[in-house]
Amino acid sequence: MSTLDDILNRPMRPPESEHLARAPFPEGTWSGIPLKTMYRPDDAASISYEQDLGDPGSFPYARGIHADMYRKHLWTHREICGFGHAGDTNKRMRYLLDEGNTGLNVIFDQVHMMGLDADHARAPGVVGMMGVNVSTLSDFHELFDGIDLAKVNVSLINPTASGFCTYALYIALAEERGLDIARLKGSNQNDTLHCRYFGYAPGSPYSVALKCAADNIEFATRYMPRWYVATFNSHGWRETGIDAAQEIAFCFARAKLYINTALQRGGLAIDDFGPRIGFYAGVHMDMFEEVAKLRAARRIWARIMRDEFGAKDPRSMQYRFGVHTVANTLTPQQPLINIARVAIQAMTAVLAGCQSLQACPYDEPNSLPTEESHRIALRTQQIVANESGVTKVADPLGGSWYLENLTNEIEKRILYWMDQVAAQGGMVEAMRSKWIEDQMHQGAMMEQHRIETGEQIIVGMNAFQSTDDKEELSIPIHRMPKGSAEECVARLEAHKRKRDAALVEKKLKDVEDSARAGQNSIRAAVESAKAGATHGEIMKAVRRAFGYPADIMEAADLGLVD
Amino acid sequence: MPIRILIAKTGLDGHDRGIKLIATALRSAGMEVIYLGMHQTLARIVRTARDEDVQVVGLSCHASEHVAATAELRRLLDEADLQSIYLVVGGVFPAHDLQEIHAAGADLIFRVGEPMESVAKRLSELVATGNRVEEQ
Repeated sequence: MSTLDDILNRPMRPPESEHLARAPFPEGTWSGIPLKTMYRPDDAASISYEQDLGDPGSFPYARGIHADMYRKHLWTHREICGFGHAGDTNKRMRYLLDEGNTGLNVIFDQVHMMGLDADHARAPGVVGMMGVNVSTLSDFHELFDGIDLAKVNVSLINPTASGFCTYALYIALAEERGLDIARLKGSNQNDTLHCRYFGYAPGSPYSVALKCAADNIEFATRYMPRWYVATFNSHGWRETGIDAAQEIAFCFARAKLYINTALQRGGLAIDDFGPRIGFYAGVHMDMFEEVAKLRAARRIWARIMRDEFGAKDPRSMQYRFGVHTVANTLTPQQPLINIARVAIQAMTAVLAGCQSLQACPYDEPNSLPTEESHRIALRTQQIVANESGVTKVADPLGGSWYLENLTNEIEKRILYWMDQVAAQGGMVEAMRSKWIEDQMHQGAMMEQHRIETGEQIIVGMNAFQSTDDKEELSIPIHRMPKGSAEECVARLEAHKRKRDAALVEKKLKDVEDSARAGQNSIRAAVESAKAGATHGEIMKAVRRAFGYPADIMEAADLGLVD
Repeated sequence: MPIRILIAKTGLDGHDRGIKLIATALRSAGMEVIYLGMHQTLARIVRTARDEDVQVVGLSCHASEHVAATAELRRLLDEADLQSIYLVVGGVFPAHDLQEIHAAGADLIFRVGEPMESVAKRLSELVATGNRVEEQ
């Protein structure tokens, strides 16, 4: 058990790992895996094609989950979008669809992700700043105004406990539009512990987070066969500084925890929802390491599902993933050169066989995207898709002695880090004891050290700096539409005045009672939202069932949130 | 006498990779770092700055709060008769806003890409010389 101070008091340069060799960047991968200067057939000689690779579309899916890969379907072009109030984001989403986005990827603001409403005492200053603010079902109606939910594949990004309610709001929206929810296509991340490291721990106590994740898996499995029960997010943790193998290992450890929590309720078998599990991976700068990482992930996930969970349906064994290119690889200095970085990363994601892609806009380290930077990111995907030619053959890098050797090496390291999590007593204990946070901080220090010593060159940052110190000023900056936050609060207040308060109370009690009784609370949350209950109120009812006081932020200040 | 600095984030933002690195680097450089971390109200930052008798308050911003929070924090520090405490700001924000952040009361601004050694050096110089933004 470490305290945060123990972690922060570490020497600035972290100790070398006791177990895994680490090489400086000129001789190793970005994650420090030592490399030879060239690879020969004997470097890949231990591989059994049938057992370790298989054809694309065949177990263990190291070479991809589809035999014909992109010949039949390209990946979903899914640029992330979310800022201001629902109307602001709706306008941008429609713009992106018009420009060729083939799916939607909606990100919610900090207030929403914390499980609060726009009128919360801590909300001023952050409403709509880093995602769209949504407090009510009417906000959801406006968010998706003019967008056909029966046609568009929608991803809702809220990997916190309150993602449960984001999902419920979406269901309520579809039902009020008269749609059959069994036909809805999309996903919500439902990785409820994920965002504890991005400030959302108060809104995602362990007990509440696991209940919400299991409810979500259960409900989607029973009633929404075309909806993904989860897209477990490894990308976000990668941004904290952990390496490629840790990214996958820690995500798989969380995924296993959620799956086991859902299975322990009884009533579901692994193959009922295994085919509807997805992942959301990061793609960093080191092309071969990232492709090897994702191939290794496919191989390991196939074996976990078959051997540990006893899955029989081959589709349960397929690691299918969207990609978010890793944003901390981009530099605020000389922002336009980020277009080149993102192009390499987008190409990497496709060479690895991704199912969907968010390519970061070039101004990611400067501000939220403008229409122009958003469009360029989308065009980058379209160039990879339509001009580069890499889409024609599945797993085009497969068989490279180097890539196969590296895939094996990363596989070993992923398994090593999964064992380390198990040795901590499992993922919740590894998080509670701050072991995970320590890994993140050590990784961040390692990267910082390598950049500051010049071992790792970052173009435009520690080398090849611009001679024009005004260069960054040449790009336009997205600014929040004026009055947007005030509009969110005003709408919420108007909404609260109009509704039947007694009915809302009654419906919220159903949410709390079902949660208290250990039952699934999604349907009660959907009905609450239809009656006019807000996102914050529904989450408050869930949290209350677990003994948390009304104001979760105050409770967190007092150290009362686990 | 080592420099005493309080560092914190305000609002709901949780991007704390940077602020933790800063804490470790400044401690390695011999400073006394009071690490408040994320989710702090500005009032609590001011109160702690007074109770801990710090010379510098560092605010880490990643959520577009860099101008408004800086201005409000400077105002609250002044109001609490803590005019002598330096206010420095770091994080992710566009270069377009640097003048505005200074105008809001930041004595120094740190951005992505600045080596930690330089951060510590500039902080030491600020405290040693007392050259605040309005005098620059």
